[in-house]
Amino acid sequence: MAIINQEELLKGGLDRAVELMAVAANTAMMFGKQKLKIVSMGPEEFEDLSGFCEGIAGLSPLADRDGRSFADLAKEDARALLIGANRKSVYNFDCGACGYATCAELNRTPLVEGIVANGPCCHFAVYDMHMAAMAAAAAAWRMGLHCRVFQTVGTAATACEFITDIDFSVGVGVSYQQIDPFFDRHKYWTDEEWKEKFAQDFPSFARRFIGAVE
Amino acid sequence: MEKALREYEEKRQEGARLAGKLLLASAVTAPRVGGIDEISVQYIEEQDTIEEMAIVIDKMASDNPAWGFFRSDAIQVRDSDVVLVMADRRSGHDPMDSNCNLCGYSLCDQWRQVPKLSNEASVAFRGPFCLLRSMNVAYALGGAVTLARQLGIDYTVKMSVGAAAVRMGLTPYKSDVALGFLASVTEKSPFKDLPKNYEQYNSASLENRLIGRLFPTFRSIYS
Repeated sequence: MAIINQEELLKGGLDRAVELMAVAANTAMMFGKQKLKIVSMGPEEFEDLSGFCEGIAGLSPLADRDGRSFADLAKEDARALLIGANRKSVYNFDCGACGYATCAELNRTPLVEGIVANGPCCHFAVYDMHMAAMAAAAAAWRMGLHCRVFQTVGTAATACEFITDIDFSVGVGVSYQQIDPFFDRHKYWTDEEWKEKFAQDFPSFARRFIGAVE
Repeated sequence: MEKALREYEEKRQEGARLAGKLLLASAVTAPRVGGIDEISVQYIEEQDTIEEMAIVIDKMASDNPAWGFFRSDAIQVRDSDVVLVMADRRSGHDPMDSNCNLCGYSLCDQWRQVPKLSNEASVAFRGPFCLLRSMNVAYALGGAVTLARQLGIDYTVKMSVGAAAVRMGLTPYKSDVALGFLASVTEKSPFKDLPKNYEQYNSASLENRLIGRLFPTFRSIYS
């Protein structure tokens, strides 16, 4: 049997793992026959995401922080599974959660383009996509990978056109490094910068967004 | 009932309830947008409450022409050992302020000006709700699904259960959007291989007909 070195083993394992995550996402429990779009991306794309996030850093401190970490993820050979879907209802639940009394009304409403998503979206379309993301994340966790679900990866990847023909998306980042790169990312904020960001007018921060105390 | 069979039934239910509590734990620790605590998970094991919910769902089937499937859902609720209801506490009144546009309003402040749907029987959830918040319900459901698969118990997810829970007042204050998770520990999943007109031919209704209706007749004739 041929000897396979550690680097090849880890890279190959990660590639297979991402494929299996896609399978898990595709077979995830869902509310209906929602069509998901699933693609994967690697280190080069993380580099591009980092650049995009840097570009919108003034708008979003979250993108600012995540963007800095994406530059490191690119160096650490990380991958992400991107899952996207379309905004219209295919369910005919007429549930009202979107603010329209019927699915037909929602589907007739003109599309409003946005950076994060094109709206208005059917709640169950969004739920199904995130249940697929959860299934992918659970598969990654079972395989022993470091993993985090990123809204910012979905947003930036859509803007960079790594995933197309969808109205919203989410990214599930995975890594085989010894240290989990997705959490405890204190090195991307100095104390001074943290205070400065909080002093700005980002109302979400006052509502416990990314860990702030209510 | 024979002692051995009674004990088997008690342990089966005990197993389902133990699993249900673990499913709740998995739902709680599933990912959240921004790591925010805004989901509540209601755990229901009392058969009376489950039956009451099944009746509410059955009645709701007549409230909206699109809700015919509620009749089948009601039976599946009745056949469940444990029901979990995942509700979002903030999406109805406190948007994430991320201006994400998922709801179709570019700014969260625009969303705040939109009147809620009227309080009619045909409306399950009086939207609009903030999607960036309420999508956490999907992660909670996904967390329960993940563990249910590992435990090997039968499960499904239901919009009707959430709608009924809101209508029954089972969700916390201002939690007006919710989804349901049904769990069952039996030899045959009550959530798969559903016959058409399931509400007429499920095990509970057959039992009612054969034993509840016919057996007293036999007794009165032959005794």
